[in-house]
Amino acid sequence: MSQIETLGILEEIQALVSDKLQVVSYKWLSRNFLVSSNVAKRLLAEFVEKHGSGLEVVYSLSGWLRDSPSNYHIQLVTGPKLSEAKQVYDGNCRVHVYSVQACIPKDLAALWNTEFIQAEELFKQPTSVDNCLRDNRFCGISNSFVKRNVDGTPAKVATAQPNSVGISGLSIHNSAQFSAPLPSQQNKVQQSSSKVAQKPPIVVKGIKSDSISGGVHDLATKPSADKEKNTPFPSNKKKGQNDKGSTGNGGSLANFWDRASAKPKTCSAPADNIDSIQNSNDAQISACEAVEHENSDIDAQEVNFGRASNSEGNRKRRVVLDLSDEDEYEDAVNLASPDPPKRKSFLGSIQNSKTSVPERPDVDKPDKDEVTVKEERTANREPNRSLGEETSLGSKSTNGKNSSSVKLESQLPETDLKKDKVTDASPNSPKRRKVLKTRIDDRGREVTEVVWEGEETEVKKVESDVPKKAGSGATNATTNTVANTNSRYAVGTTAPSNPGVKTGNKKAGNAKDPKQGNILSFFKKV
Amino acid sequence: MEVDSQEQLQRKQSTYLSLDENFEIQKEVYRGQQYSQIYFARLHMMRTLLYSLVPNWKSHLPVCTVLELKEGKECIIFGTLYKHMKLKPCILDEYSKERSVAPLIKPHNFMHQDDYLVLEDESGRVKLGGTKLSPSVYVTGVVVALHGKETSAGAFFVEDVLEAGLPPQIKRPLKSREDKYVVFVSGLSIGRSSSNPLQFQLLVDHITGHLGDEEEQGLAAEIVHLVIVGNSVEISRGLLNGQNLASKDQSRLCEPFKELDILLTQIAASLPLDIMPGSSDPANFALPQQPLNRCLFPGSTTYNTFRSCTNPHCFELDSIRFLGTSGQNIDDLTKYSEAKDKLDFLERTLRWRHLAPTAPNTLGCYPFTDRDPFLIDSCPDVYFVGNQEKYETCLLKGLEGQLVRLICIPRFCETGVAVVLNMRNLECHALTFGTQISS
Repeated sequence: MSQIETLGILEEIQALVSDKLQVVSYKWLSRNFLVSSNVAKRLLAEFVEKHGSGLEVVYSLSGWLRDSPSNYHIQLVTGPKLSEAKQVYDGNCRVHVYSVQACIPKDLAALWNTEFIQAEELFKQPTSVDNCLRDNRFCGISNSFVKRNVDGTPAKVATAQPNSVGISGLSIHNSAQFSAPLPSQQNKVQQSSSKVAQKPPIVVKGIKSDSISGGVHDLATKPSADKEKNTPFPSNKKKGQNDKGSTGNGGSLANFWDRASAKPKTCSAPADNIDSIQNSNDAQISACEAVEHENSDIDAQEVNFGRASNSEGNRKRRVVLDLSDEDEYEDAVNLASPDPPKRKSFLGSIQNSKTSVPERPDVDKPDKDEVTVKEERTANREPNRSLGEETSLGSKSTNGKNSSSVKLESQLPETDLKKDKVTDASPNSPKRRKVLKTRIDDRGREVTEVVWEGEETEVKKVESDVPKKAGSGATNATTNTVANTNSRYAVGTTAPSNPGVKTGNKKAGNAKDPKQGNILSFFKKV
Repeated sequence: MEVDSQEQLQRKQSTYLSLDENFEIQKEVYRGQQYSQIYFARLHMMRTLLYSLVPNWKSHLPVCTVLELKEGKECIIFGTLYKHMKLKPCILDEYSKERSVAPLIKPHNFMHQDDYLVLEDESGRVKLGGTKLSPSVYVTGVVVALHGKETSAGAFFVEDVLEAGLPPQIKRPLKSREDKYVVFVSGLSIGRSSSNPLQFQLLVDHITGHLGDEEEQGLAAEIVHLVIVGNSVEISRGLLNGQNLASKDQSRLCEPFKELDILLTQIAASLPLDIMPGSSDPANFALPQQPLNRCLFPGSTTYNTFRSCTNPHCFELDSIRFLGTSGQNIDDLTKYSEAKDKLDFLERTLRWRHLAPTAPNTLGCYPFTDRDPFLIDSCPDVYFVGNQEKYETCLLKGLEGQLVRLICIPRFCETGVAVVLNMRNLECHALTFGTQISS
């Protein structure tokens, strides 16, 4: 370092210490003036020699302690204590100037503060900048094996290569060594969610989102499941829009399943149709309609929708339906979950020719005793079902485990189905119609309700775009049961602050529709 | 501007191998299981092991299960010890209608002279009598083999105990090595109001080669690895009381991490470093603690020298095996048993071949279903525990020629002491920092 530069720096130090009362440590000096630490120490020593009077100097001592030989002690001492401190060391200890300041602060951390602020400044520079903090260039030891990945992805942790010492300096890898592959499921999720969003108000928007999240697992493992996921939505919607099947299915759960099963049972033509148009919402809708139409004539059937455990990522749903005794399911909850097209094709053998009047097929044909709608649900299970009947899709587990309460009986081939949505359905009656109503409630949320028009109505409320919080489903269960047993309208009302739950709860609100009748009537009835 | 024209020292390197897969729980699936499976796995593994050791110990005696015990018949039984402790805190005490006179405040050690041991295997339990087995030494969860006989009172009178003993050690290749040092530091507790950042900065400066003259920097160049053994940050309790934080408090919450990240960046730019979670770090509570999330260290994770590791942590450097924890296992042993010093506890865990025998009884643990990851299969060369009161070390020699360096690493923020190990001869020395500047 040339004399002039040295003098210049010394003068600056003088100014900083005396006028600005800053603590000038050797590290601060080295980073500020871009000199190595050893040079900085020499500069400080020179400064102390020349201008040190009146200023406080802190020295750093290091060496082996005399009293405890296996103790390498490094300490900071002030000028006056230097000689005394040297005594504790065994032999020579290394001394150098640590910092120079106008006075010793009471809080020792203040000695460190200036340096840390400087380090922080360097740290905050954009990651692409390779400054002296990041490559430690002013230390006395070079380390060629250290590599820093600039583009933000974590650098691959390398085992030291003993023969890489020859490489001088640091090399920075700009190539991403770890590229986190976007899970394809995420893309699919986006797809399916967008698809779903395009549809007209769908029965269970909340479930939709849940099912998407739950279905991520599926999507990852079963690409075709994505389509299935899409198709359930329109089918679900369709179900909501349709009356209960005219076959007089009793239970709502069975209703749904029947409908679901009816879809596959539909004639192969629509089944084929369904398969080919899986990606098209309209096609799905029409397929659903066709299925629903055909559902009415279904007698006892068993449909297997097995849903494998999450861990296998192979979700199948099993629905064992006995469609003969629908009437027994007056209290059954209709779990209107979407019918995947596979199911339709699977059950395509069961033909049901219905009229084109979109009637909600009575899905709860299965016998009360037998309806083992076993649905091994994923986390998207709608827990909001009134399980007034044996066919309790009890799996309200939100951990995505198989928790179906009903035993699976049928051994029909399983298809990969995701039952992503469940809607509560009121008991089937031939006269009921399920319609969707959308309105804005008093809190500004869009509420989509499934309303049964006819003998009984059921309300299912879905709040879209509402930040999901675990809401109190207090009214929901009541609603469901009311709807199940009431033979009047039950128009959904805004359940107070009941946004859809992340885990797939659906909200169903109880309506205070005057036409509907008193909720207490439910209790009386029961 | 200008870098020293003289030749720079080169830092030494060593090959690193991480053996932490055993402690990772990403592949585990929680199905609501309870802890019986981990106990069963432990019993099964240890019993197989002890069974193979019995012929060398007392080959003439029959082995039987607890239910097969007959009064007066001498035999050997295997099982898990359970220590019944009068003072052990029980959650039910908090709800009992009749509170006893003793307050619910927990003492530091729950031992009582009335504690007794029970041996349990799959078939049943039997109370243990005799003086051979001292309840103050043993804790719940240790698997042993016992020689004795059933008394008329229905207890099992213990005549002899067989512990698994030190596990076999893989012999290190004896090649002449140069001095290479590993530095251990724990309990940095950045964020604690009483911590002195200057001390840790001095440590960083020393290790990275800023501090001292060339000779000292030459010493520092021989440091090949740094292990930070838990409790690196401390978040003030006032911020964690469950209330929503105001925005100004939120910045207080992450200040310790930023400070730690800046310091770790300085270190990672110089040498490889491992950071383990501890009891006060933002990691899961139950052992094995998972690595601290990389998002906490945005600056440091860009370096290939930065590794976030599990607690317990097992790795090999130049084929020397290191195994250690951040202290929860030893602290738990301290509460439920006694020994003359912490090194004694360390030795016991090695002899029992289990890192944390009190897990899951009193130490939080993940309910593994098919294995017990804390079983020690192979004897490490260096066995360390962090966050202790003081620095202690000793060299343990096993019956089969095993040689283990036991190290208790003190809390740095309280003591200013870090530990340096020489890999050539497993010698340890302390690295202390003092900033007592009194004006």
